[in-house]
Amino acid sequence: MAKEAFSGPLEHIGCCCHRIPTSYKPGMRVPGHIYANDKLMEAIRKDQAPDQVANVAMLPGIQVASIAMPDIHWGYGFCIGGVCATDPEEGGVISPGGVGYDINCGVRFIKTNLYLDDVKHHMRELVKALFHTVPSGAGRTGKYKYNAVDTRRLMAEGPRFVIDRGLGVARDLDHTEANGKIDDADPSQVSDHAVKRGAEQCGTLGSGNHFLEVQVVDSVFDADVAKAFGLELNQVCVMIHSGSRGLGYQVCDDALAAFRNCPAKYGFELPDRQLACAPADSPEGRKYIAAMRSAANYGFCNRQLLMHQAREVFAEVFGRSWEDLGMEQLYDVAHNIAKFEEHTVEGKKKKVWVHRKGATRAFPAGHPEVPDAFRAVGQPVIIPGDMGRASWILVGSQGAMDKTFGTTCHGAGRAMSRTAALKDGVGRRIDKELEHKGVIAMASSRNGLAEEQPKAYKNVDDVVEVVHEADLSRRVARMRPLGVIKG
Amino acid sequence: MHELFEHTADLGLRATAPDLDALFVEMAECLVSAMVEDPATVQPLEETRIELAGTDREFLLFDWLKELLSRFDTDRAVFASFEVQVSESGLTATVRGEPFDSERHTFAHEVKAITYHELKIVRDGDGWLAEVIVDI
Repeated sequence: MAKEAFSGPLEHIGCCCHRIPTSYKPGMRVPGHIYANDKLMEAIRKDQAPDQVANVAMLPGIQVASIAMPDIHWGYGFCIGGVCATDPEEGGVISPGGVGYDINCGVRFIKTNLYLDDVKHHMRELVKALFHTVPSGAGRTGKYKYNAVDTRRLMAEGPRFVIDRGLGVARDLDHTEANGKIDDADPSQVSDHAVKRGAEQCGTLGSGNHFLEVQVVDSVFDADVAKAFGLELNQVCVMIHSGSRGLGYQVCDDALAAFRNCPAKYGFELPDRQLACAPADSPEGRKYIAAMRSAANYGFCNRQLLMHQAREVFAEVFGRSWEDLGMEQLYDVAHNIAKFEEHTVEGKKKKVWVHRKGATRAFPAGHPEVPDAFRAVGQPVIIPGDMGRASWILVGSQGAMDKTFGTTCHGAGRAMSRTAALKDGVGRRIDKELEHKGVIAMASSRNGLAEEQPKAYKNVDDVVEVVHEADLSRRVARMRPLGVIKG
Repeated sequence: MHELFEHTADLGLRATAPDLDALFVEMAECLVSAMVEDPATVQPLEETRIELAGTDREFLLFDWLKELLSRFDTDRAVFASFEVQVSESGLTATVRGEPFDSERHTFAHEVKAITYHELKIVRDGDGWLAEVIVDI
């Protein structure tokens, strides 16, 4: 079933956009829009991800189109790489599946004033120290432990809570989506079980595709924006990819169970149980929103603590304080989240619930939610690739506001299933292969490296080319990995 | 009989059995095989009783697997043997296992969640077939 190709209609409607018309399936309220070029389209057609785009088009209150980014791949219910905006005034729904299990999975990018020559002889020592200090792997707990009361306070306040305890500086918040605190989070709506799962996991990477990577800028595409972001050729940087750990998973799980009866109660039908949703303006919807926002704040906090530990390791290895090493946060952005945002829909300004499941906010220059420091150029967008090739910094652009509810891609997108990648890795030493390419990789499980090997992903450069061409965001700089730690 | 199957980003559990009681046992064993590399290394040392209410067969399977997973999440418990009785109103089960011990057990996957995506229990000849996708 996973390998069945999509045979439905995909009409090319210009500028890297392909439409699935509403006539494809009964129940589609809007068309599907998939952003991809011919090369990526060929890969996308290989499974049923486009069918999932069509299923999402059936959600009550959906606006304009069910949108997919060039890195889409088949997920459970929603495809990964999807965007769906719903209007609560038209019965629009909120969907936990449209956010994902790992609420506020996202990426943080930290600059340094080191250059390639400064680190190249210290990489093994640096990666080893990062691996020993930053907890990674399945179910791992960390050194930061909070009781239930403090875990709930942390969810209400976001990274401010840990920064007040000396684990960061206030300016980190200025460079975080929503300043690291999504308003109207209500941690009392988060179950005790979720709190228990989160109490000892803040500041841990987790497993799967999460990582902490040391990278070097190897190309600059837009000198002016790169300058505004403080990026230059051969500069060493750190990228962190993680989310809200077990806590976010439990919030999603709890909501999916609570939403079981919503289709019957509110009178709509769903093509897949994983698309479970409730009207955003209903008791069930409001409860999930309050809990989801709390988990999102936990996610920002998790990445704050991961960054803090990385700063400590760099200071130790290079014998200078992190401030001396210029380890300033460029930005932190979520790619699994739902936000209540103002957008122009058919010429009319309205507030909609924008679900971004494996998709990144990309606001243009001048948008009030872009930090002051970047207001003139646009929001930094962080796109992790695979651990052998490249990652990117992009900048938000107007095209995203016009076409995709201010959204762009989130990564390379998988090309192989985890099982296929594991089979492919049998008998190979992925760490040695990476070392040969100049990347030091350490993981807490050998399977982790095989599942995440570069070949398992599409080429992120192709994905970025599409979002650049379609003006969903623009290229600023490309980084290649030097060292990576994984779960 | 049970097996794991591929899914683009995730993993599927599939089992067949002559009756529902056996089907729920097979699916539980399948879940353990997704989590632990060699399930035979898990010893049936501690016994726990699980009771779940529910009239929808598929949701009941979901809740059953989720219950086993949540015992791993909170107590690091992994299981070796299962006895299950499925009825019209829910299930009762006796499960035996032990805490995960990294000295003796090797992780296969971190199963992060059981999903509802394409969750199914259907008639398969004289018996039953179940499929569940798990998030890893």
